[in-house]
Amino acid sequence: MLRKLLKYEIKATSRIYLPMYALLIVFALINKFFIAVNADYLKIPMMIAMTVFVVIIVGICVMTLVVTIQRFNKNLLTDEGYLSFTLPVKVHTHVDAKMIVALLWSVLSAIVGVVSVFVMAINEDTIQKWSKFMSELIPAFNSLGAAGYVIVLEGIILVVVATLSAAVKIYAAITIGNMSSKHRLLVGLGAYLGFGVIEQIIVSIFGSSMSSRIEIYFRNLDTIASKAAGAETALLWLIVYTLIFGALYYFLTNWMLKKKLNLE
Amino acid sequence: MENILECQNLVKFFPGCLALNSVNLAVPKGKIVGLLGPNGSGKSTMIKLANGLITPTSGKILINGMEPGIETKKIVSYLPERTYLNDWMTVNNMIEFFCDFYTDFNKQKAYDMLQRLGVDPSLRLKTMSKGTKEKVQLILVMSREAELYLLDEPIGGVDPAARDYILDTIIGNYNENATIIISTHLISDVEKILDEVIFINKGNIVLASTVDDIREHENKSVDALFREVFKC
Repeated sequence: MLRKLLKYEIKATSRIYLPMYALLIVFALINKFFIAVNADYLKIPMMIAMTVFVVIIVGICVMTLVVTIQRFNKNLLTDEGYLSFTLPVKVHTHVDAKMIVALLWSVLSAIVGVVSVFVMAINEDTIQKWSKFMSELIPAFNSLGAAGYVIVLEGIILVVVATLSAAVKIYAAITIGNMSSKHRLLVGLGAYLGFGVIEQIIVSIFGSSMSSRIEIYFRNLDTIASKAAGAETALLWLIVYTLIFGALYYFLTNWMLKKKLNLE
Repeated sequence: MENILECQNLVKFFPGCLALNSVNLAVPKGKIVGLLGPNGSGKSTMIKLANGLITPTSGKILINGMEPGIETKKIVSYLPERTYLNDWMTVNNMIEFFCDFYTDFNKQKAYDMLQRLGVDPSLRLKTMSKGTKEKVQLILVMSREAELYLLDEPIGGVDPAARDYILDTIIGNYNENATIIISTHLISDVEKILDEVIFINKGNIVLASTVDDIREHENKSVDALFREVFKC
């Protein structure tokens, strides 16, 4: 059932994302043309095209957030919820599908953004600078040995976990907001801010009891190898932290959708 | 298990309003039941509870002996009183969607009914009138071979000619073991197809009886009895 839900979720969202991506690439090409020509009489159109490009990038960022909120809210908690929740599908499968698709578009948006900048900026000069940069980076990276790969891997895992956790935190807030019969938006917003405060409190309680040990640990990292090990540990803790809170939000959302659902 | 739907001391409380007041009810299999009551009497609340769209304050509602969940959703075909179709899909898309999720969906039946009611399946739902959307939704719901159909105001928004066809399809399409519960206040229209009626008012069951009994003992139609019971 997850696969079927994913299919329809992607169908429903791609009609919003794909045109935006296409638009971004088109404007990247237009900008590339202006940069290549670089004529004085084209200065104003060039500035306009560049501004539009930046606006589209910002637009995609905002849209990714808005669509993540909207899909969950609209598809599950408004009229469409009457269909979604009468499908013979487990509640958590709905949440899973929404989370996975949110992750998919976040990653794709980032990739498309980077690619569009590359398309726009690529010319002989930038290629040369880039290869020089890489020729310095790679030996530095290799000097770290295996630790370098571990850090990259941890970084990727952190991005994935953090994106999923951010999405499910929003879902939990929306679901709590939906429990209120009158002020859904306000309660939802309050819940989201409340989560932040609770996270802060827990982290500071935990952190203050450990702070001296953490300080000593990082002060003693003087060699490159031990610094890399320090980064590995720090990333690992970040992953664990995001994972724990993400899991809490996930179970909270599922529990409420299962036991406390009250569609208007 | 003889009863397809059972309510045991079912209570639903909304802030500032008692929607269902300790309802006890049993609906046997294979009947067409009218859930009749004035606006705001608790009809929709009961049907939404049966679908698990809202949770009971206390008491139980059982479908085929099970609390609402994935197993009951497989056998219940529900028509809500609002449109739940997403605007951007075509009717063809919706039929695919129902095919994908409900194993008991009969595609052929859906296309036959669409043709009969003159709905073009390649149209987007966005372009349709409210009545046409309601027809599409009813066709989707009735094209399932479910064990329990819960129809909330199924004919409210469609024209009288389509109303007759829809009622005919409702009785023509269901098999003997299936149960249909129709909530409505358009009693005279549905009366002829009902086996049993449940009168509900302010969250209480006022009367549960077979249509034949009403005709025999009260010597009047369901519509007349309804007007008498709910006289303002």
